[in-house]
Amino acid sequence: MHKRKELFADVALILIAAFFSFWFLWRTRTILVYHFDWAAVPRFLVRSTEDGFAAGVLLQGLMTTLRLSLWGALLGVVFGCAAALLRLGRVRFLRWLAASYVAIMRNTPPLVLLFLFYFFISTQVLPLGFVEESLRDAPEWIQSLCAFFLAPVGSLHTFISAIIALGAYEGAYIAEIVRGGILSVPKGQWEASSSLGMPRGMQMRLVILPQALRVITPPLVGQLISTIKDSAIVSAISVRELTFQGQELMAATYMTFEVWTMVTLLYLCLTLSCSLIGRKLERVIAKNMGRDHPGS
Amino acid sequence: MVKRAVRALIMGLVLCAALAPHAFAQKQEPQSVVEDVLQRGVLRVGFSTFVPWAMQDKNGKFIGYEIDVATRLAKDMGVKLELVPTKWSGIIPALLTGKFDVIIASMGVKPDRNAKVNFTIPYEYMGMAIVANKSVGELHSLEDFNKPEMIISVRTGATSVDVARKFLPKATLRMFDEEPQAVQELLTGRAHAFLSSAPLPAQLAAKYPEKLYQPVKGTITKEIVGFAVRKGDVDTLNYFNNWIRMVDAEGWLAERQAYWFESVEWEKDLK
Repeated sequence: MHKRKELFADVALILIAAFFSFWFLWRTRTILVYHFDWAAVPRFLVRSTEDGFAAGVLLQGLMTTLRLSLWGALLGVVFGCAAALLRLGRVRFLRWLAASYVAIMRNTPPLVLLFLFYFFISTQVLPLGFVEESLRDAPEWIQSLCAFFLAPVGSLHTFISAIIALGAYEGAYIAEIVRGGILSVPKGQWEASSSLGMPRGMQMRLVILPQALRVITPPLVGQLISTIKDSAIVSAISVRELTFQGQELMAATYMTFEVWTMVTLLYLCLTLSCSLIGRKLERVIAKNMGRDHPGS
Repeated sequence: MVKRAVRALIMGLVLCAALAPHAFAQKQEPQSVVEDVLQRGVLRVGFSTFVPWAMQDKNGKFIGYEIDVATRLAKDMGVKLELVPTKWSGIIPALLTGKFDVIIASMGVKPDRNAKVNFTIPYEYMGMAIVANKSVGELHSLEDFNKPEMIISVRTGATSVDVARKFLPKATLRMFDEEPQAVQELLTGRAHAFLSSAPLPAQLAAKYPEKLYQPVKGTITKEIVGFAVRKGDVDTLNYFNNWIRMVDAEGWLAERQAYWFESVEWEKDLK
């Protein structure tokens, strides 16, 4: 009896979903006057050239998003760990500095931070003009290395502004995650390691951090995946990542639905595979740390 | 808790104060941009996607009238061209902060823009046109759209905004970052009319004859379009002005305009 009820609910749900998708399709045809053209979409991913295949417009965007997220996450972890350690440190001035960094970043919209950084701070503070000039004169292979790991020389300045802004923003959240993780380790652990005569740095490195890592990992992975999603805002300063490429494509072809469906799927591929890896990582860490410190 | 917040605020202010002198000391470059470009061997051109002035073709290559102009300019200067696609709403700040050397993006000359940048002599003339959804009924003058219940969709920061404010001051404006969003709004009927540079409105009316029509044929306004460069650079202005006179005298500009604005041959390259 119970089983049958469940089956009924499932069928009803499927019917409702089918109804809504038909309704949506009907609407796009009759009310939006929208002509779907899925045949043109594969070319946005992979296109054929004279010598084989090359990445299409959207796939190029995905690669840039990947580069952005990797560097942004790396910078975020560096900023975050530094800010967390400073906030827990003994120097009052540095504690304030780290606290105000976290407070400012977390209480400002990321888009505003990005504009502030791109139009205002980066042109004044980052001496990148010189780097750009010398890279232009550099041999071909250095330029292509730079294009592979960062961005083509011409858009290097914008790209670096973007990763610093992204890293600074994510760093503030990571700082809180790391600080929370460290504070979650019972005070007794500090006292015990102190009684063994360890200096503070060694206590942190050998006793506290390994235990904190287990608490930190799950939210940290979540934040890193969040970096991929947040990287979409840098389209506002014309970094040619996935969202920007989607907007450009939409402006040129007017294929709004097809383009954004593809962009959504590509983002999902990226974030879902990252969360799978993250879950594996969590399991490995929980296992290893659990064996080393069964007490806590 | 409050004390901590106050401290954070003070720290922020101190940081800002430390950065401010750098920020406000805008470097006035005495050197000319043309000299810089020739020395660097690369011309960086800022532009924004806008069919058929500049757009990506199916292979991700930029094509369009503006792209032709920029390509020819770089070729005549003997330098490499670097195209910097930029959001329209932030294109002037990006020029001012040196992200590229010149804007070649069908930017109409307007007094408020001219206060921020210098324009060359016109290399193109543009006109605004209107296209409306048939649901509003058969209207045949602009005045019919000048009512609060009329919703006009336009692109943020484009001259169409000014044209709408001037000719349709009572109508409700709805602004979008990209043209397709504004067009989609018109197609669904949430907006009653769409204002944009010719020939786009006429092309739309031809593409969706069962939905759209042009209440007023032809263009409403005529505006001049020039390259925009940073202020106070006489050398660069002179160089670009004379280049425009040269290609205009050759008939090259007229020939390119005929290809992009009067024919639709280029449409096959898009999808």
